[in-house]
Amino acid sequence: MILRFWKPISEASMPLLKAEGVSAGYGDMEILHDVHLSVEAGEIVSLIGPNGAGKSTLMKTIFGLLHPKSGTITYRDQPIHGRKPHEIVGLGMCYVPQVANVFVTLTVEENLDMGGYLLNEREIPKRRERVYALFPKLYERRRQRTGKMSGGERQMVAMGSALMLDPDLLLLDEPSAGLSPKLVDEIFDNIRRINAAGLAVLMVEQNARKSLQMASRGYVLANGENRYDGTGQELLDDPDVARLYLGG
Amino acid sequence: MSQVIFLKGLMLGVALAFILPILLPPGRRWRVPGGIVLGLGLGLGIAALVPSGYLSYFIGFMTMASIYAILSLGLNTQWGYTGHLNFGVAGFFAVGAFTSALFTIEAPTGLAAQYTQVLFGLKMPFVVGVMAAAVVSGAVAFLVAVPVLRLRLDFLAIATIGVAEIIRLIFQNERWLANGPQPLRGIPQPGRCLFETRHCEWVPDSLAWIIEPLSTRDYTAFYLMIVAGCLALVYVVLERACRSPWGRMLRAVRDEETSAAMSGKNVPFARVQAFVVGAVIMGIAGALYAHYTVAIDYSHFHALFATFLVWIMLMLGGSGNHRGAIVGAILVWGVWAGTAFLANALEPLLAAIHQDLPGRAQYIRWLLVSLLLAAVVLFRPKGLLPEEMRVSRYVPDPKRR
Amino acid sequence: MPDNQPHQSQPQLPADERRLGERVRGVIRTRGFLMATLVAILVAMYLAGLATGASAQRLLALTAWGLMLGGIIALGSIGLTLIYGVMKFPNFSHGALVTLGAYVAYTLIPLLPTGEVLRPLSFGYEFLIALVLAMPVVGVVAMAIDRVVYRRLRNTGAHLVLFAMASLAMAFFVQSMIYLIWGPDFHFYYPGRPNPALYLPFGIRVRADQLFILLLALVLVAMMYVLLEWTRMGKAMRATADNPHLAQIRGINTERVIAWTWVLGGGLAAAGGIMYGLSSQLRPEMGFWLLLPMFAATIMGGIGNPYGALSAALMIGIAHQVSTSFLDPTYGPAVAFVLMVVTLLIRPQGLLGRTER
Repeated sequence: MILRFWKPISEASMPLLKAEGVSAGYGDMEILHDVHLSVEAGEIVSLIGPNGAGKSTLMKTIFGLLHPKSGTITYRDQPIHGRKPHEIVGLGMCYVPQVANVFVTLTVEENLDMGGYLLNEREIPKRRERVYALFPKLYERRRQRTGKMSGGERQMVAMGSALMLDPDLLLLDEPSAGLSPKLVDEIFDNIRRINAAGLAVLMVEQNARKSLQMASRGYVLANGENRYDGTGQELLDDPDVARLYLGG
Repeated sequence: MSQVIFLKGLMLGVALAFILPILLPPGRRWRVPGGIVLGLGLGLGIAALVPSGYLSYFIGFMTMASIYAILSLGLNTQWGYTGHLNFGVAGFFAVGAFTSALFTIEAPTGLAAQYTQVLFGLKMPFVVGVMAAAVVSGAVAFLVAVPVLRLRLDFLAIATIGVAEIIRLIFQNERWLANGPQPLRGIPQPGRCLFETRHCEWVPDSLAWIIEPLSTRDYTAFYLMIVAGCLALVYVVLERACRSPWGRMLRAVRDEETSAAMSGKNVPFARVQAFVVGAVIMGIAGALYAHYTVAIDYSHFHALFATFLVWIMLMLGGSGNHRGAIVGAILVWGVWAGTAFLANALEPLLAAIHQDLPGRAQYIRWLLVSLLLAAVVLFRPKGLLPEEMRVSRYVPDPKRR
Repeated sequence: MPDNQPHQSQPQLPADERRLGERVRGVIRTRGFLMATLVAILVAMYLAGLATGASAQRLLALTAWGLMLGGIIALGSIGLTLIYGVMKFPNFSHGALVTLGAYVAYTLIPLLPTGEVLRPLSFGYEFLIALVLAMPVVGVVAMAIDRVVYRRLRNTGAHLVLFAMASLAMAFFVQSMIYLIWGPDFHFYYPGRPNPALYLPFGIRVRADQLFILLLALVLVAMMYVLLEWTRMGKAMRATADNPHLAQIRGINTERVIAWTWVLGGGLAAAGGIMYGLSSQLRPEMGFWLLLPMFAATIMGGIGNPYGALSAALMIGIAHQVSTSFLDPTYGPAVAFVLMVVTLLIRPQGLLGRTER
């Protein structure tokens, strides 16, 4: 299923998302030190690193849930640091957090409606149809509350809600966490399909090897600092990266 | 200096000598002797220089401030040390007041019994009354704690408001218990006999000459001495207890309940203990209040006076800090008393706005203290004297040395 | 891995392999058991009433009046439960908002042209207009308090306790304003106006005003249903109550949602206060008296659940009135309190609350 029919990738040279010299943290505790990262239109960028490296913190900072102490974050050359999440969503960037990423007391359909909260009311059913076409399972269970659904199904609801706004960039925080191997493959398949439709994806993954295999580029983060950058293949081939971060 | 002024000054000085050492910064060697000397000197000085009308106002002020300070200490044990959100201070305050009253008054007989009904009147000494107040208030707290303390913080707050309200309703409705909606009068005052008849059973007559020149009106200074002594005693006991392993356990239960449980602490029991200890202290404060005002009724234990003010005191002073609790009590009581003057001063202005307003000036005090609490919550949630994270007096404090 | 599935039931052993204590606890925690206990308490109250010599007819009349009182409590507690659900703190100033509503209407009525009395009700159109005007006024006051006080606390990520404390401060603030503006005396909307009782079947006598109160409560709850289930703002409110962070991520301006929640909650509180004033009289402490029953209804119904609050409020109203057949009427708040504590001990998430959390 093709999510969008035609989206020119003419601005390929201009990065969609660009973070430079970002330092951020909680309270007095600084977790990210001078981190840089960029995502260009249409690519999959994978962010890997050990636990506590600051991957999720970087995602939250990009999305305005945390405000950087220094550094700049731009989306389509517009500065977005210091802006609120609900403003950033409107620019065409959507985020799927790792945990608590669905409204458990709402039904699947209501969850999707909330994903399209910024849309014109008449537009919502059309977008919903497209998400159902991408995830037919959700259509069958559209009247069910997501609190009663399995982890894999919730992940679909979460991604589906993020796609409602038809964003250019999707931020995924550990989409495969806690899922069975079969479901992990399904999720990665979905990410590939979404990307094939023209969306850029920035994802944090524990499943580093698998995510680098499909990523155009990757960043390795450790102790809140950039360690290695490169294309997915380069990082996979790098013996240090393999030894330290890919489990040998 | 006349003998009357000297004696009054001495009594006031003793009271201040109890309070001032607490207020001085801790950890200094001169704190206790310095405080005592300063208190005595201040007492004598005030008595000598201040006109007697203002002096008795000051004594009344300090008495109420000290009673509130004890309440604030009780709340600090519950909230500051253990994290119980008790919005029902008034309930335990009332239980203490009525218990002590019933233990010490004489049950009316004959015609008077028709006007004043009590469950019992034991005519016991003041000390027994205070102790009974502590025990009964603690027992009520225990009964409340067992079902309620397991609840979430916010539910506990709602439930304790309910408990206080129900206690108030009981004292309002049940005539047989403590004279129902009518005030319970004639609560005896300890040592008042000395001032009235120059004779008390427990004082040898050979000593009675000391207070010979004083009149009945000067009794308040004597009572202030007792209240201040109680405050100092409660403070010392609590300070000891909270610096002991028990106090550390309470803080551990408050901050890291799971780790405390994993360290083998009986968490539910510790929480109940702290709640009961706090209520015992509130009960003592209630008893001191009853013997101060002589007549009490249910309306004295309104949520505003007996719960809300205490919370402002503790929040302003600093929860988790006993000194802060006392400083807060004195400051807020000062604001409360001061706003009465302010309301009086504003009267012409209020009259200019609307003819009915001067009669309602007292509510300006409510307005000001509620704004004070809001301001504390918004701008200084840790209070003036924040909690000192000191493990034990045997462990040197890195900041001080 | 963090537990990201708090709402899925734990893997449980087959029932017979669990210890007896666990099985008993499992039964006790169910919705059915709570319902049965509450109904048993109600039945016990009826029996106590009969035992102390109240006639069946009187108990029936008390039940009818209890429903009306329940309507008043419901109006207050629906707003309370919404605010509790979205903001996650108990709003102790809700009672003061109830009182404020009653007094605002009291001020508005003489300003409006007096209409003909709508027999058999005791009031004219001007009362209805005052009701409709006072609701947004109190709603805006509630929102303004949120802007000045609670929003600052939200921005600093303050603990629930500070919110509760601030709401206590605001309770006394609003109450002191009421004392200053309207004084401590009792007031009536229509002093001395007769409102004879209607005779209903089974010998029940109720005033038309009381029926109006119940009807208004039901209509407002129905409107709440439409709002929450069908409108965008309603769904956004539910989403914000469910997960405020995710709501922001999905593009919901949670500050706007919170503002509307206050307007709604304040408005409903005002309606409750006006109805309470109509059924008895206006006193500056009237809202404080309702605070305990309102919280009881909120907790019994399940926090954040308006339909739960309605049913619990009706139950509390009935229990309150029936208890007067054998207990001093001033103990009303105590009756609500007992029902609340029973709920908290058996099933803290209430009658209609979510099962897991």
